[in-house]
Amino acid sequence: MGSSVSHAAAPPPPPSPPAVGLAVALPPKQDEKAEPKNVDWLNLPCPVPFEEIQREALMSLKPELFEGLRFDFTKGLNQRFSLSHSIFMGSMEVPSQSSDTFKVPTAHYEFGANFLDPKLMLVGRVLTDGRLNARVKCDLTDNLTLKINAQLTNEPHFSQGMFNFDYKGTDYRTQFQIGNNAFYGANYIQSISPHLSLGTEIFWLGHQRKSGIGFAARYNTDKMVATGQVASTGIVALSYVQKISEKVSLASDFMYNHLTQDVTSSFGYDYILRQCRLRGKLDSNGVVAAFLEERLNMGVNFILSAEVDHRKKDYKFGFGMTVGE
Amino acid sequence: MASKASLKGKGKAGKGSKASEEGSSAAKCVKEWSTWAMKKAKVITHYGFIPLIIVIGMNSEPKPQLYQLLSPV
Repeated sequence: MGSSVSHAAAPPPPPSPPAVGLAVALPPKQDEKAEPKNVDWLNLPCPVPFEEIQREALMSLKPELFEGLRFDFTKGLNQRFSLSHSIFMGSMEVPSQSSDTFKVPTAHYEFGANFLDPKLMLVGRVLTDGRLNARVKCDLTDNLTLKINAQLTNEPHFSQGMFNFDYKGTDYRTQFQIGNNAFYGANYIQSISPHLSLGTEIFWLGHQRKSGIGFAARYNTDKMVATGQVASTGIVALSYVQKISEKVSLASDFMYNHLTQDVTSSFGYDYILRQCRLRGKLDSNGVVAAFLEERLNMGVNFILSAEVDHRKKDYKFGFGMTVGE
Repeated sequence: MASKASLKGKGKAGKGSKASEEGSSAAKCVKEWSTWAMKKAKVITHYGFIPLIIVIGMNSEPKPQLYQLLSPV
């Protein structure tokens, strides 16, 4: 109204922003200022599942790099049901004891069927050599979920399976796992504050009589996610992801293995643009990698993957196309 | 003396093994059956999982046509 009223009101922070230009940027900040006073400690948000605690860092730093040709075709018959055909021709790395990398040229065709329902998800993939990858996720009740993950092969004693029972509470999640080779595991994660959640896990391997316990913490805001994990197997893993803008985020990761005295740290970026998604990373092992997914048309994606390991002199380049959603 | 102790130990072990034999035979039976069941379940899952998904998918609404399974369009 009068200019004298506005002068008197200027010193205490007014609820309305001082200038129109800043008004677009300020409202979220004001919500954050109001938040510490209004935290409802009995109504904290549900934390992310324990295995996804480093989800943002893994998505940015560990894309599915490959070497060779990859072609994926997904055909939807229904809103929920789809079939997928996938061809891969290239080299796959065989893990070996020595520091040399063993590459085996492989070519396979993979047929897959997916059924995705809000309550039931069935994903199956079968390869030309007879291996089956099966994933089942079933919501038994609103809060209890059963997940089954299995890799079945024709060779005896090489198959693996894992049953997970997840229970989701108001501000906690807990999971119980049973796997083959008498593997039992459990984990629990709890929200301590709107931004901080702490979790713990234990596991027991029956056949090797090994057990372990680990702790994890995750602190996230809208702009950043910081996680830390410590395990009795001697592994310390830290990660930090900062979202610079809607399109760009930077991630860094640090892993220390006490038993093998192995330290790895990596730094990566993730650009999500309108037509493409570019992820790249640089490693302390001398590895530089990049992964590009470019959208050529509706449902047609072109993929380029590159991984250059300067220390081992191992150069991997791959290209491919993905057709279908 | 050492042989007496060892005989005593063997005797005890003999008695213990008799008692545990009956208990362990039941446990062995259960273990054998469960191993047999797991093997059969593995074979059934290996061959039947993908057909199961296809059957469930073809019966979901809206029902897709049979030719759509094979045609690339």
